[in-house]
Amino acid sequence: MLAISNLVTEFDSVKALDGISFQAKPGLITTVIGANGAGKSTLLRTISGLEKPSSGSIKWQDQELTSMSVESIVRSGIAQVPEGHAVISQLSVAENIELGGLFRRRSFRGDLAVATKEVYELFPILYERRNEAAGSLSGGERQMLAISRALVSRPKLLLLDEPSLGLAPMISAQIISIVNNLCRATGLTVLLVEQNANTALAVADHGILLALGKVVADLPAKELSADSSLRAAYLGY
Amino acid sequence: MTSFLTAFFSGTAQGAIYALVSLGLVLVWRGAGVVNFAQMGQAMFTTYIASQMIQNNYSYWTAFVVALICGAALGALVDLGLMRPLTSRKNSKLLNSQSMRTTIPVIASLGILGVLKSLAGIFWAGEERGFPSPVAPNAIKIGETNLAITGFDLFVIGAVFITLVLTTIFFTKTGMGLAMRASALNPEVTRLSGIKVGSVRTLGWAISGTASSLAGLLVTPRTNLSPNTLDLLLIVGFTAAVVGGLSSLMGSVLGGFILGYVISFVNVYSAPENVFIAILVFLLLALFIRPQGILGSKEVRRV
Repeated sequence: MLAISNLVTEFDSVKALDGISFQAKPGLITTVIGANGAGKSTLLRTISGLEKPSSGSIKWQDQELTSMSVESIVRSGIAQVPEGHAVISQLSVAENIELGGLFRRRSFRGDLAVATKEVYELFPILYERRNEAAGSLSGGERQMLAISRALVSRPKLLLLDEPSLGLAPMISAQIISIVNNLCRATGLTVLLVEQNANTALAVADHGILLALGKVVADLPAKELSADSSLRAAYLGY
Repeated sequence: MTSFLTAFFSGTAQGAIYALVSLGLVLVWRGAGVVNFAQMGQAMFTTYIASQMIQNNYSYWTAFVVALICGAALGALVDLGLMRPLTSRKNSKLLNSQSMRTTIPVIASLGILGVLKSLAGIFWAGEERGFPSPVAPNAIKIGETNLAITGFDLFVIGAVFITLVLTTIFFTKTGMGLAMRASALNPEVTRLSGIKVGSVRTLGWAISGTASSLAGLLVTPRTNLSPNTLDLLLIVGFTAAVVGGLSSLMGSVLGGFILGYVISFVNVYSAPENVFIAILVFLLLALFIRPQGILGSKEVRRV
């Protein structure tokens, strides 16, 4: 269980997150939607430790994350797939994947090979192109690679930052559905940040609507997507 | 023909040393974004340590190994003791501007250089002294003919060759090497992969310190040792690094060898006093023809 309460993150005294509280239940997909600038990415970056909050708490399985370093947060089982298909383009596909599991290489050498095999089965195209530079991949393949890098660390909580950004609708639907299947099959907890509310709410169990750094709705995904007045007010359609 | 071979072999041996210096500079530049002007000061200091040990009747090889270890320790110390505290202050007004963030560590490295030179002055009175080589500096003989290569040249080339092979294996075959390349290329994604980028960076400083320490041990039998003798080496090494592309390890090594040949051939076929002009002309030419360096890649910005 991920429990966030009264979280405030500021940039030069502008509150990007202004007292956010919600929970993400284990084994489910929770999606955070909202317009540009609502604070969605800042929320994920604060959870993964890239931004330090000025107050509030983030509890993950009884651990307080706000005082931990990025590396220890990853090592506690939280993997983030950052915005913009973040892979290291000069490294090969295989090296990018290896990087994700590198910190586990001493204690879990055997499992690492299994995890690597699993992501290649999930995304066969990556196996075909494993020796090519990650920079030569298409946008969709890069996103698959970024997700694979996160998955080989065997996370219990996966933070996805706008996985559909800049991708063709078909590709993004494919990627979201793979994540959905993975969550259902393995009990992975997913926190999915999306600007594309329809795509996200279609697979999510629970929806959080953010506006200007505040939670304006915290509802089951079905109810949130059915609420036309909320959508009209905050998402503009 | 003899003068050509002499120039070639001495160019290879000199180039090998420049390659080490250049490699050390590029390692720190890639990892930490700092041009470390203290690098050859560190090498000077560790060479003095080795020299002191030899004076105290330790064997050359003991002193050699101790100097390399001290080089690694000094490199790590510079990062942990100075660079990290300097750059990690979040709420410093001064550090908020990007240009200051990149300038301050460079100025700090000049400070370290000054401190190391003063310390050498305090401990060893700044005296110029010879530094021994483990092999005789005579030309190798086959029968009665002198070859154009000396035993010492061979020793230098061999030592650098082993270092380069080990470095290559480290970077391409080990997990730590991958972590190091990844941290240099994209620190954020690397941190999000659970890798302690700070420690990896410190290791980069340590390896750079070892490489330059080795350069110091290899060059001083020819140049003698004084607090200032290695300054020139930094200039040549830096030129080699820029020629090689600053961000490419392979390029830095290549740049070192090319510069070794340029200097050596100018020395033999022209006059030693023209060497500096040659370095400058070569640097300018390289920057005009290939500003991104021999193996450097153009920066591509995605929008």
